[in-house]
Amino acid sequence: MKFVNKYKKIAVFVGVLAFTACAHEDQPTESQLDYNQPAKTDLDKWIDANYLVPYNINAQYKWNQNTVDNTRYLFPPTIDKVQPALEIVKQIWLQSYATIGGADFVKKIAPREIVLVGGVNSNSNGTRTLGIAEGGQRITLFEVDNINKKNRAIVAEFIHTIQHEYVHILNQTKPFDEQAWGKITPSGYTATWHLETTAASRELGFITSYARSNVVEDFAETASIILISTKAEYAAILAGITSAKARADIQRKEAIVVQYFKDAFNMDFYALRDEAEKNTTYVINN
Amino acid sequence: MKIKNIFKYVVVASLIVQLTACTSTEVEQKFDKTPTERLNAQKSELQEVLLTSPDGWKAVYFTDDKQLGGFTHLFKFTPDGKVEMASDFDATTTSKFTSEYDIQLGSTVSLVFTTKNRIHLLSDSSPQSNPTPALLGKGYLGDFQFLYYGQENGQLIFKANRTAGDGTSKEIRFVKATAQDWTDLPKNIDMIANVVGANTRPLFRLFETNDGTTTHQYDFTFATRSRFATANSIEAGSTATNNMGIAYTPTGIVVSPAVEVGGQKLTDFIYNSTDGSFTATGTNGVSASIKYSAKPLVLTDDYKNLVVGKPQMVFGYIAANLYTAPTNSSYFKTLVDKVNATLPANQSIARVQIVFNNVPNGTYIQYQFNGGKAQIVHWLTTTEDAVNKTIILNDDGWNTTAANYAFLKDIDNELTNSKGLYVKKETFRITFSNTIYTFTSAASNFRMTTYQL
Repeated sequence: MKFVNKYKKIAVFVGVLAFTACAHEDQPTESQLDYNQPAKTDLDKWIDANYLVPYNINAQYKWNQNTVDNTRYLFPPTIDKVQPALEIVKQIWLQSYATIGGADFVKKIAPREIVLVGGVNSNSNGTRTLGIAEGGQRITLFEVDNINKKNRAIVAEFIHTIQHEYVHILNQTKPFDEQAWGKITPSGYTATWHLETTAASRELGFITSYARSNVVEDFAETASIILISTKAEYAAILAGITSAKARADIQRKEAIVVQYFKDAFNMDFYALRDEAEKNTTYVINN
Repeated sequence: MKIKNIFKYVVVASLIVQLTACTSTEVEQKFDKTPTERLNAQKSELQEVLLTSPDGWKAVYFTDDKQLGGFTHLFKFTPDGKVEMASDFDATTTSKFTSEYDIQLGSTVSLVFTTKNRIHLLSDSSPQSNPTPALLGKGYLGDFQFLYYGQENGQLIFKANRTAGDGTSKEIRFVKATAQDWTDLPKNIDMIANVVGANTRPLFRLFETNDGTTTHQYDFTFATRSRFATANSIEAGSTATNNMGIAYTPTGIVVSPAVEVGGQKLTDFIYNSTDGSFTATGTNGVSASIKYSAKPLVLTDDYKNLVVGKPQMVFGYIAANLYTAPTNSSYFKTLVDKVNATLPANQSIARVQIVFNNVPNGTYIQYQFNGGKAQIVHWLTTTEDAVNKTIILNDDGWNTTAANYAFLKDIDNELTNSKGLYVKKETFRITFSNTIYTFTSAASNFRMTTYQL
């Protein structure tokens, strides 16, 4: 085994070379990147105290091109509108679910980020997108600049958007039985839902015209309309439908929604509705 | 192969690798600093320079000068991330508003207006905010994230993030603002009426270029909401255009793209309150101006169908449908209002009809009324003015007494003025499919819009 000895020296030499060869290169110095925390305004501190710390949700109101669709013409909210909007979201959505679903419910199943956009998100067909829920992680709310706490119609539309998008988040976390749902009113879905009236859509077994865009939206609309209506208001909607079949179809969808909340999250859907109603009244009156 | 040989090759191979490995990292440095260092330097440069101008910065932002005009913005940045802003978007926006800004580091350094202020009005896509039907859902195509391209002569050069990738995207320049700029901003709003044009000025407008020896004329139409003017050559066979986006200044307008005359680029037009014109002056007699004309730019031959011997043609101004027609001059409307004011409350002018070459009644004007009042007829003869291309309506008696038609005298005098009427068959329609004709006085600011009946 002489050759081993002979090459041992060479091997050692190679090894030395390997460890010293690059020694003259600069060692990494401190990072060039600015990782200082930006100064926090009172609003930022309020968001930390009310969203980030208790719920681990980031509420983003400053413009960040990476969280919005740059092909649309959008703009960030007016600073004064941010806190009122977030107060509505907190009171009606976070607190209602916390009361009925348990204190930790929204901490576990919640979007990790709420993005507020001041302007209107206009679609090419003339409709407006009021909110977007993405991947169970982020909810974007549009038209924040129009928020007026004293205007019930505006608050109701804004709350409708939140409830609707959160139902999407829940669905994106635990799916519902889309096949069973789709069999109830299979022929009523249409891409041109925006050309239909609410009354005509209800006669076909859909709670709103937007519910007719697809099964997923149908579920979110059915659930959110019940959530933003009082028991009496919802009963009045049903009573206003002429077609007995349409009324029964909406009630079958309602039953699936109720069962979904029970099975997936062990939550009493009607109790949730009553809690949301209580909180909505509180927001408008305060 | 013996193990010994294998070992040999391995050692030689590894030696080669070792000895060459470090040479490949020797990339030739084109710059003194690393890309990160340079980006950081640019970021702090922008942050610092924004704060250097004591009265802030001024930018005239043309979002798309192929279809929209420019909007003047004033910015005053403070070190705590706040920015005071004013714009001439409308009369309510010329005072200062405060919001936040940020210098962001992405693929490049950009200035971002992170919460809403005046500049965001250009990005409002709400359905009622579009300046033209083509821009439904897009607002004024504005941006508020500006990529920083450095400085030139003390000016900061930016491009809009939204369009920076397009080859045609234009620079947005921030120039140092003065205290005067802030106090004068409302004067930009005052200038709007001068660009729109006044009722008291002659009815026709044109855009004229002069390269020192020859002049070229273009018609001129200005759209207030989009701040965009279209100017098409009126010379036969020419398709030349001089469309331009317009931004207001305290003394006139700035246009983009620049008007090219005799190889010179003209952008700054000064308003002349005496004749209502805007003029940009270059060197060696080169100029461009927007001005008024008492005569139509292009005289049509449409009047020829109305001269004696032609078949009957009837034109009617129908108040219910045509009072609001944009082609009525305000002088015409004033005269109509005046007539109505002399009538009882339940009566008003319903129609002014001009009947040409009726058999057997010839040519006449019928004044018809709402509220049961009988019509009044003014009999006429016609004369052709082939040089000025007008038709002149001459008095040939009334169907009633002078006292009974006295209240129509002012409006009737315009229709029967001695210089005649320019007649134009228009290309647009109003409510009905009837062809629209306008009758314009060659002597005053009188223009009436009619249906061909």
